Amino acid sequence: MNTVTNYFKSLLLIELFKGLALTGKYIFAKKITVQYPDEKTPYSPRFRGLHALRRYPNGEERCIACKLCEAVCPALAITIEAEPRTDGSRRTTRYDIDLAKCIFCGFCEESCPVDSIVETRVYEYHAEQRGDLLMTKEKLLAVGDKFEQQIAADRAMDARFR
Amino acid sequence: MVTIEIDGIELKVNNGSMLIEAADEAGIRIPRFCYHKKLSIAANCRMCLVEVEKAAKPLPACATPVTEGMKVHTRSPKALAAQKSVMEFLLINHPLDCPICDQGGECELQDVAMGYGGDVSKYAEKKRVVREKDIGPLIATDMTRCIHCTRCVRFGDEIAGLRELGATGRGEHMEIGTYISKAVSSEMSGNVIDVCPVGALTSKPFRYSARAWEMRQYESIAPHDCIGSNIYLHTRRGRVMRVVPRENEAVNETWISDRDRYSYEGLYSADRLTVPMMNVDGEWRETEWDTALEAAVSGLKDVVDHSGAPQLGALIGPSTTLEEMYQVQKILRGLGSDNIEHRLRQRDFSDQDAAPAFPWLGTPLAALETANAILLVGSDIRREQPIAGHRVRKAHVAGAAVFAVNPVDYDFNFALEHKLVVDPRRMTSALAAIARHLVTITGATNPAGLDKLVQSPEYDTAARAIAERLRQAGRSTLLLGASAINHQNFAAIRMLSALIAELSGSTLGYLSDGANGSGAWIAGAVPHRGPGAQAVQTSGKNLAQMQGSGMAGMLLVNCEPDLDLAEPQSTMQMLKKAEFVVALSSYKSPALLNSASVLLPITPFSEMPGTFVNAEGRWQSFEPAVAPMGEARPGWKILRVMGNLFDLSGFDYMSAVEIRDELQKLVGDVAKDNSLAWRAPEAGQIDGGTLVSISDIPIYSVDALVRRAPALQKAQKLLGPGFRISAALARKIGLKDSQEVKVKQGDREARIAVEIDDRVPESCVWIHADISDASKLGAGYAPIVLEKA
Amino acid sequence: MANEVCFSTIDKKIPWSLQTYREQGGYDVWQRVLKQKTKPDEIIAEVKASNLRGRGGAGFPTGLKWSFMPRSAPGQKFVVCNSDEGEPGTCKDRDILRFNPHAIIEGMAIAGYTLGATLGYNYIRGEFWEPYERFEAALAEARAAGLLGRNILGSGVDFELHSHLGGGAYICGEETALLESIEGKKGQPRFKPPFPASYGLFGRPTTINNTESFASIPYILRNGGPWFAKLGKPNNGGTKLFSVSGHVNKPGNFEVAMGTPFSELLALAGGVRDGHKLKAVIPGGSSTPVMPADVIMDCTMDYDSLAKAGSMLGAGSVIVMDDSTCMVRALARMSHFYYEESCGQCTPCREGTGWLARVIHRIEHGHGKNEDLDLLDDVADKIQGRTICGLGDAAAMPVASFIKHFRAEFQYHIDHKKCMVGGV
Repeated sequence: MNTVTNYFKSLLLIELFKGLALTGKYIFAKKITVQYPDEKTPYSPRFRGLHALRRYPNGEERCIACKLCEAVCPALAITIEAEPRTDGSRRTTRYDIDLAKCIFCGFCEESCPVDSIVETRVYEYHAEQRGDLLMTKEKLLAVGDKFEQQIAADRAMDARFR
Repeated sequence: MVTIEIDGIELKVNNGSMLIEAADEAGIRIPRFCYHKKLSIAANCRMCLVEVEKAAKPLPACATPVTEGMKVHTRSPKALAAQKSVMEFLLINHPLDCPICDQGGECELQDVAMGYGGDVSKYAEKKRVVREKDIGPLIATDMTRCIHCTRCVRFGDEIAGLRELGATGRGEHMEIGTYISKAVSSEMSGNVIDVCPVGALTSKPFRYSARAWEMRQYESIAPHDCIGSNIYLHTRRGRVMRVVPRENEAVNETWISDRDRYSYEGLYSADRLTVPMMNVDGEWRETEWDTALEAAVSGLKDVVDHSGAPQLGALIGPSTTLEEMYQVQKILRGLGSDNIEHRLRQRDFSDQDAAPAFPWLGTPLAALETANAILLVGSDIRREQPIAGHRVRKAHVAGAAVFAVNPVDYDFNFALEHKLVVDPRRMTSALAAIARHLVTITGATNPAGLDKLVQSPEYDTAARAIAERLRQAGRSTLLLGASAINHQNFAAIRMLSALIAELSGSTLGYLSDGANGSGAWIAGAVPHRGPGAQAVQTSGKNLAQMQGSGMAGMLLVNCEPDLDLAEPQSTMQMLKKAEFVVALSSYKSPALLNSASVLLPITPFSEMPGTFVNAEGRWQSFEPAVAPMGEARPGWKILRVMGNLFDLSGFDYMSAVEIRDELQKLVGDVAKDNSLAWRAPEAGQIDGGTLVSISDIPIYSVDALVRRAPALQKAQKLLGPGFRISAALARKIGLKDSQEVKVKQGDREARIAVEIDDRVPESCVWIHADISDASKLGAGYAPIVLEKA
Repeated sequence: MANEVCFSTIDKKIPWSLQTYREQGGYDVWQRVLKQKTKPDEIIAEVKASNLRGRGGAGFPTGLKWSFMPRSAPGQKFVVCNSDEGEPGTCKDRDILRFNPHAIIEGMAIAGYTLGATLGYNYIRGEFWEPYERFEAALAEARAAGLLGRNILGSGVDFELHSHLGGGAYICGEETALLESIEGKKGQPRFKPPFPASYGLFGRPTTINNTESFASIPYILRNGGPWFAKLGKPNNGGTKLFSVSGHVNKPGNFEVAMGTPFSELLALAGGVRDGHKLKAVIPGGSSTPVMPADVIMDCTMDYDSLAKAGSMLGAGSVIVMDDSTCMVRALARMSHFYYEESCGQCTPCREGTGWLARVIHRIEHGHGKNEDLDLLDDVADKIQGRTICGLGDAAAMPVASFIKHFRAEFQYHIDHKKCMVGGV
């Protein structure tokens, strides 16, 4: 009995039309392909991308060298050295994040008591050499300075959930 | 013994002990802040409140003595409510600045708050803020964080013996601080950092540099004094970040001196020698180990070949490890020379044959505090051996009488019952007077030649009182300090002290120089005896003889010739005249660069294994905490290779432990016996002149490491410039305080500012041996002339 | 029934002179004791029979306290008189020092003899300059008359007495802080036990009593314990000095029998200010709980009656408040006092008094929040019973009682940001 059914099915090209129907459906459906980099998908203010060190509006760096991010980092990607600055405050002399080690878990951001280390929405960066992936304090501060507006806006949006 | 019940656990505890002690012993944790087992009970933090059945109110466990049948609940609702409310009160005014606080991560308040604190504070008023205080270069303060437990105040009162910190003001306005603005001056002040349960008192040099959780902890032994305090080195990424005490009741209890705590800074001094260096035609060049070792060995071999082995000598710093000392003497003796010396600051070697097998304390360190009478002979024990000084203070607090025969009226943190502050030239006379009285009291036969030594009847009253008290005391001890051991007339002082000890039934002890002054004798680092005080065929030259005769070749180990020796000038001359000088050093010391031919970098104590023998004869070995810096290598390895290159047998060690074991087997149990048979000493005089210099080594100048620790140097600077004369002498010359004076000693001359200090006898000038101008002068304890500039 | 004990000389011409005191039989007991060498046990029995309870505030039976003293212990022992009268509302000891200093001297001398102490100190409040001078003058008189010193009147008994002027800290009225202060240290209470009877001044056995207690001793021994006991009511022997202050017409010190109804005492003080009604009374100094008018009017002035009504007799310092009083402001003032006077030694009091004072200050100034009253109750509760000395309790009790009895007034301050009682 089965053989008979199969015979008629193949004779009438039913599978073929089924497939063509699907193709036809998508030919006329709305397109969802995003033309990156000309087009971009929307993404969350909580996106965890490139790291940045922030400053206060008066230009003072936020980081107080408490080293909680260093302690919490599961990938041991953060290295900090600290000493008293001339004004007696506790400051870092070195703040390195090795992006090659980083797993972008966001723990550093979560542990920071002064909202200094943050992960920005920036994900478009590259490195030609391994060393380029080592973010120094200067580089991190520069990222922070560049994207401060967006960083602040993102934190403000998320504030009531924290 | 009484039986009590804590949290349902039945315990048998000693009568009179406090609840908290019983609980601690049983491993039941009661939170506390003000309680510290070494300090008196204050019961002021109220954190240890517990519920005691049949008591109306919760009672503080630290101040509640146990009674038979007592039933205690440490975690009942009532106890917990009390503890939590105290925690809440403590936190209302404590700043929430843990992220920038150095105590963060090792803070008792933080820990206890995790268990007993609330998550949200109900306190909405303004918090207390306390103005910043500066209490010196060693301790950083953030008094806003203070929780007023008064541990630091009690430490000062009870342990350091100096009331430097106190609580001023009432209620919430109470502040801990120095009563008048000043730096704390105790030689053990750093311990307040450890007793402070919060971040109010922290280490200044360590400030903000590392977190407790980043560091690894290694056991070690402090390398500066004959106590051998047990310490932990805290390291991070191969660098020693700080030093904290390691508890050892028999040695340092829970304390360490500031010298032991802060000297680690010197490990990373800019002039660390990290590469072997050779002097090629007057120019220093860095070189490979092979080349340097070849050069060193062949240079010394040449000396032996041309001038003979007796022209070869070795000077070893007294804080060198046992293993290195043993190897140095093994090399020298293997080459045929006995000229090995570690007694770098000593000047009188005339009785060295009668010296004990090794100079020891005469009693275990812990037993010092049970003495009923203590006579200090030429010792500023507080600064020379802070921990031993602490034990003496403890003895004094327990009722012991302490006496001193000293060249300067040193300020001790205990009261002296009687003191003889004498011109160094009269020290023998003062001691002889005491001995003479003892002869009378005991009715012993008067030793021949004793009467001749008693020259100064003015000491009579005090001398007799000291003699009587020593004799009556039961347990009494004499301690010979640096200004006795380094005295020009040490033999006579030693002999008289031994006589006093024998007649009064006291023990006689030495507070020797360096961390291994006792070990040096055991290792055989003396010219007249081999390891374990074995006799040698012919006695080599001691330091004075080497300086007198000059040497063709020298091996310097772990010493800076201009700062570690009694007579820097003549030592430098000797070295400059020598054909070939090899120095094993951790630092590029200017004096070494000036006089050596080859510099071999050895590691300091933190980077190598080794053993120190402390004054009580305790062998304490330690392991490296961090890897050697640069090309520097542990001394034992370098000496082992040198032994091989000299073709000497018995240099096949694979580890430092092998060397120690070999020595231990060789010497067995070295006799601990300081007694001395009477032989009339010569009342040698320091000749000529009316004024004599008293030269002592300031507390933070004892060795190369300490001299390179910036914080300690700052602390030392606060103690004054260190050229002191009495007001009477100043009047005589016509000088005012801090005015410059022309100083002449032999053919040398210098201009130095004087400090007027009435602790100095009128006929003396007290010079800190390390002040830069002093190096222009001659030896200490020698005639000196002051003229108005 | 007034002015029979401590104030018995008050109507005389020069009440503080030795002559006046002797005229009424002063120092007779002391001389008799010296002559007959009365057994200390007999004296203590007499004091016990008098039902004299410590007049400093705690009301501990004096005879019992004396019996705790290890009289036969070798070495120096002390008696100390506590004239550091710092409790707000109290001024009775001041007037004993001014008008009957010899009664204190005789009382202390007898106590010294009884307890085996040859040295006594009278610690006088720092602000009491006039009383201090008068007491010093009395001491000089007594010494000149040979009633103090070595081998007094040839009896072989030694007793020397010194006065010590304090530095002005309230806490030094606490007996162990007072001892610390005499020793020259910062006035901070000691942890008890050990009690002063075993470890007191300079570590020696010491008995400390209030000025009024000591001044009553000569009269008790002169007339017998039962006489004194009968002056008052059972378990509350004798007469008592009451310092009545506040909104009365004639404030002052009044010596009346224990157990006198409050209404009588109020009448002695001339009644409440004209045109006002009684609102509340603090019966024993600022650290005792406040009592609303209706409760106190039914009370008699003695330890047991007031304790039953939820307050304490304390030092007998009656602070009367009429209906013009803002209870919030009154409490704010008192809390500020305890905040200032906390010694700072132990945590609950040091931190808690400041907390209380700040919150009450805020409520008074119209910045109160609804949860503040519960917070105050909570904080006061957390201080009580957890401190080294009684100052913590003293600071907490008024807060708890004011809020308990006058909660509505506090609530009004919070809700309306102003005072219920006209005023501010």
